[in-house]
Amino acid sequence: MMVDIEIEIDGKVVHGYPGESLISIADREGIDIPRFCYHKKLSVAANCRMCLVDIEGNPTPQPACSTLSSAGMKVHTNNEKAKTAQKAVMEFLLINHPLDCPICDQGGECELQDVAMEYGSDISRFTEGKRIVDDKGIGALIQTDMTRCIHCTRCVRFGAEVAGIVEMGATGRGEDLKIEPFLSEGIQSELSGNMIDVCPVGALTSKPFRYDVRSWQMNSIQTIARHDLVGSNIFTQTHKNKVKRVVARDNESINETWISDRDRFSYQGVNNENRVLIPKIKIEGEWQDTSWDDALDFATNGIKKHAKEGSQFGTLASKNATLEELYLLQKFTRGLGSDNLDYRLDASNPNNAKVLESNISLTELETIDHALIVNSYLRLEQPMINHRIRKATLNGASVSTINAKAFDFNYRISHSVLTSPQNTVATLSGVLKALHDKSSKTLPDYLNSVTVHETHTDIANVLLNAKNPVVVLGEHMNGNTCSDQVAKLVSEIAKASDAKTINASLTGNTHSAERVNFRPDNGKNALQILSSDLTAFALFDVYPNFDCIDSKNAIEHLSRDDAFVVVMNSFDDESVSSFANVILPIASFYETSGTHINVDNIAQSYSASVKSAGESKPGWKVIKVLADLLNLQGFDFTDSSQIADEALSLTPRISEIEVPTSNSKMPNITTVWQYTPYASDVVVRHASSLQQTQIGQMSEASVCKATAKLLKLSEGDLYKGVPVNINESVAEGCVFVHTNLPRQLGVV
Amino acid sequence: MNNICLKSIDKDNPSSLATYETMGGYKVWHKILNGELSPEKILEELKISGLRGRGGAGFPTGLKWSFMPRNQEGQKYVVCNSDEGEPGTCHDRDILRFNPHSVIEGMAIAGYVMNATVGYNYIRGEFMEPYYRCEEALKEAYDAGLLGTNIKGSKVCFDLYSHLGAGAYICGEETALLESLEGKKGQPRFKPPFPANVGLYGKPTTINNTESFASVPEILSRGGQWFANLGVPNSGGTKCFSVTGNVKNPANFEIPMGTPFSDLLKLAGGLRKGRTLKGVIPGGSSTPVIPAAKAMKMTMDYDSIEKAGSMLGAGSVIVMDDTTCMVKALTRLAHFYYDESCGQCTPCREGTGWMYRVLKRIMDGQGKSEDLELLLSVQDKMLGNTICALADGAAMPIESFIRHFREEFEYYIKHGKSMVENDG
Repeated sequence: MMVDIEIEIDGKVVHGYPGESLISIADREGIDIPRFCYHKKLSVAANCRMCLVDIEGNPTPQPACSTLSSAGMKVHTNNEKAKTAQKAVMEFLLINHPLDCPICDQGGECELQDVAMEYGSDISRFTEGKRIVDDKGIGALIQTDMTRCIHCTRCVRFGAEVAGIVEMGATGRGEDLKIEPFLSEGIQSELSGNMIDVCPVGALTSKPFRYDVRSWQMNSIQTIARHDLVGSNIFTQTHKNKVKRVVARDNESINETWISDRDRFSYQGVNNENRVLIPKIKIEGEWQDTSWDDALDFATNGIKKHAKEGSQFGTLASKNATLEELYLLQKFTRGLGSDNLDYRLDASNPNNAKVLESNISLTELETIDHALIVNSYLRLEQPMINHRIRKATLNGASVSTINAKAFDFNYRISHSVLTSPQNTVATLSGVLKALHDKSSKTLPDYLNSVTVHETHTDIANVLLNAKNPVVVLGEHMNGNTCSDQVAKLVSEIAKASDAKTINASLTGNTHSAERVNFRPDNGKNALQILSSDLTAFALFDVYPNFDCIDSKNAIEHLSRDDAFVVVMNSFDDESVSSFANVILPIASFYETSGTHINVDNIAQSYSASVKSAGESKPGWKVIKVLADLLNLQGFDFTDSSQIADEALSLTPRISEIEVPTSNSKMPNITTVWQYTPYASDVVVRHASSLQQTQIGQMSEASVCKATAKLLKLSEGDLYKGVPVNINESVAEGCVFVHTNLPRQLGVV
Repeated sequence: MNNICLKSIDKDNPSSLATYETMGGYKVWHKILNGELSPEKILEELKISGLRGRGGAGFPTGLKWSFMPRNQEGQKYVVCNSDEGEPGTCHDRDILRFNPHSVIEGMAIAGYVMNATVGYNYIRGEFMEPYYRCEEALKEAYDAGLLGTNIKGSKVCFDLYSHLGAGAYICGEETALLESLEGKKGQPRFKPPFPANVGLYGKPTTINNTESFASVPEILSRGGQWFANLGVPNSGGTKCFSVTGNVKNPANFEIPMGTPFSDLLKLAGGLRKGRTLKGVIPGGSSTPVIPAAKAMKMTMDYDSIEKAGSMLGAGSVIVMDDTTCMVKALTRLAHFYYDESCGQCTPCREGTGWMYRVLKRIMDGQGKSEDLELLLSVQDKMLGNTICALADGAAMPIESFIRHFREEFEYYIKHGKSMVENDG
């Protein structure tokens, strides 16, 4: 360790690193120094002046945030000189502050309020009129009350330094200094909600939470966000058995102190009225509410009747289900003698090969010097992984992409190859061949006939020149019918360039699904389950019109007269009602205990924050009872942690990624379908505020002029139900659909 | 008088290269280009000369230049602060108008000494005429091969650019100037790090005032000791003073340091008939006011003015006679700082407006007896608690005006009108 300079703070000898700020040392030592503009994750601004301390030998008090320690320094944080300065600043901060704490949502958790209790005066000497600041409004997520703003610029610095999108700024001068967005469209960052957390006053508060309950009336419960591969640590804040708000919880190795807007505001989905609250059975085409006992009997009898043999039964589950649910579901399915189960509902080619591994931790990602991003709009797909890469770019790392569209990243892309899905294999092969050429390795047969373009060589060069490169594979691969080859090539590229890999193609809790082998060994995969003659199905939180790649076919298949479909869902859905025979209401996010395994293979367990809505029950309990009623063995669990223990004790299946053979034929024009991050799972789809944001409302089918001509599309037409936008940011030969609408495949 | 920076003021075509050269201009620069003058020698002469930063802080120029890590690799910059915005000051404007080549030569010498190959002259936004004069002079200098790369085969490189500000007083603060020069909003940076280590674009940078740079060629041409001898101990050389206010002939005067204030007042034509001196702000509006009796005893140098209770500052002498209402004068000053605060630091953003409003209220006849104590307390809470000195500049006049002219403030509060008859 570099430790060691000794300094004295308030008479206590403490140690610091050379060049460490006084406030950082004081924080570590538990010495309290009041502050507003200082934030450990942001650059130093030294503008609030609240942390003024007395340093011996210095005529004026100095800010502890911008003053660097040097050996022998003697600092007083609370002698008369320091206190006088701190109290002076406090008085200045309060003269124009409205002091409307009784109607301010920040009340009770306000840094200004807390510090004013100690440093403020009971009576104001300011008798002039107070400043009033107009609010422009910055969108659906953040409520602004800028009259309360103390101009600490934490939000401004957050935007510039962390989110990477400069949206808020300090305009005007002197008393007219205003913190406001430069543009009128409002805040667009996928991390914007963190501005609420960093704001020390009630200027920026949560809009969906506004005027709901007071902060001190809520319970804070430690839990895990389940939308992405990171498993950000959060607090759910609950009142009267409802989640009222979600805030970030520090975990340096996972999400630092930030969370994505999806993780922060998706709780609104759980509270949505569109929940299934009562068990329902369909008798002669009519839905009836019923009791749990009757519904479970109905379900088990149906399974017994329609799946006389196990092989006639198939199970599909959401990738966002908990480890426990996925484990029990596969045990249930396999207990019935079936190996037809899958969670890869949006995959065109869900084969049995092993998925590409992620082998670099989130914190290590900050130390890379090059990232090659393949098939991913990483910023929206995995905001926190993207954030770590952005941090690396701030330290000089470069980024290249192989994507179907030129996306709006929050860092500069040095090399970009636009590639349609049907050309992805050729492009990746080109890069791989270039890598082999550079390192004079023997060329595997399958690369012999590959053409290497200059763009391929460029990417190969940056990969080879990098000391710690990483290759990131993203969601767009899933829809590619050659996904196995794409994954294999990415893995080979990583090997050939000594790069680490991040597999961001499978999001949510897919690491749990893989851990419990929630996919067929020899049985049918998702596509096969939805196209063969199975007669009984269990669907776990699956909504085919969004989740299944060929949703039209899936719904038709499940609607067959001879099919018996048991649905365990948390949300009501018309298309599900059309084919289901029984709907068992299950608990949604925050209503059940569970475990999430993240990209670093860290299993994080959490307990329920609130009781299940209505009569719904945690999924694992429902599966357990179904298994009991069907006399399956090995379901004697009384607690979800027992299930997790058993699931985690399993050794995951080991298989190889297969060597790609030949290109399977793909059409001349293909579609890349990506849901906006706020349509990526059923909970967030029901979160109303997120839907009102620009990201949430994004719905366009981007296509280049040439391809549009071939498809006879013009601006504003509907392509698969999505409005067409003709622009040249898209690779030729494909349409990039970014939307929040249900899939309407087949409608061209 | 007018021997150094303003020496061309009465000449025909004062700003031209030809005029400058007839007065011995670019002699030092040629010596440097011929390899006859080492950086060490220049620093030594500057230290002997006792030249102190003319922008207001009075930091020894030679010492400042020696702080630059001249042997460190990478780009370094020299910046001239011509953002002359202090109320009462207008002598840098005349240097830029009449003697721009002295600034160019001074900056080029600085660039050579500190191994900085690029210089910027940041000119106040309102100075359109000086800006064009400087641009013309720069063109002349380039055309004469005095600037550029490998100047006259000497391997010395120096490029100089003029930059016009946008009218913010705060950009006269050197780090705000750098921010502005980088294209950002002009607001001061916290220090350390100082510009000598992390300056323009993060590179080592030295910033000096126009007058400081303009003095350098003459000092080096005639020797540091010659310059030092012009002034008094601790205040070497001559200094330009702008004399404004209630005098007959307001103007700029370049006079030796240590000249009695009374002489300077005479140079400016003295007071108008029948008037008596009330007070003097000796160094620009941000320095404390000095009452008449003390002012008449002081000499114009750093030590004497400090002894009188104020600062030499930028040499901006504002003379106020008995017709001046001190409440009104202070309110005007307070409004200036209220208007010019960048708003970054809490005490300045909030304090300048508070003080102005209290004074305005007094002027409106709504003053309260406790207002003076309030003003004194507010200014005290601003002093020394901010990133830059603007808050100090706003605070110091408040304290000194009230201290020296308290009865006028009390009268105004009590009677709701000025003690000075026919004021305004």
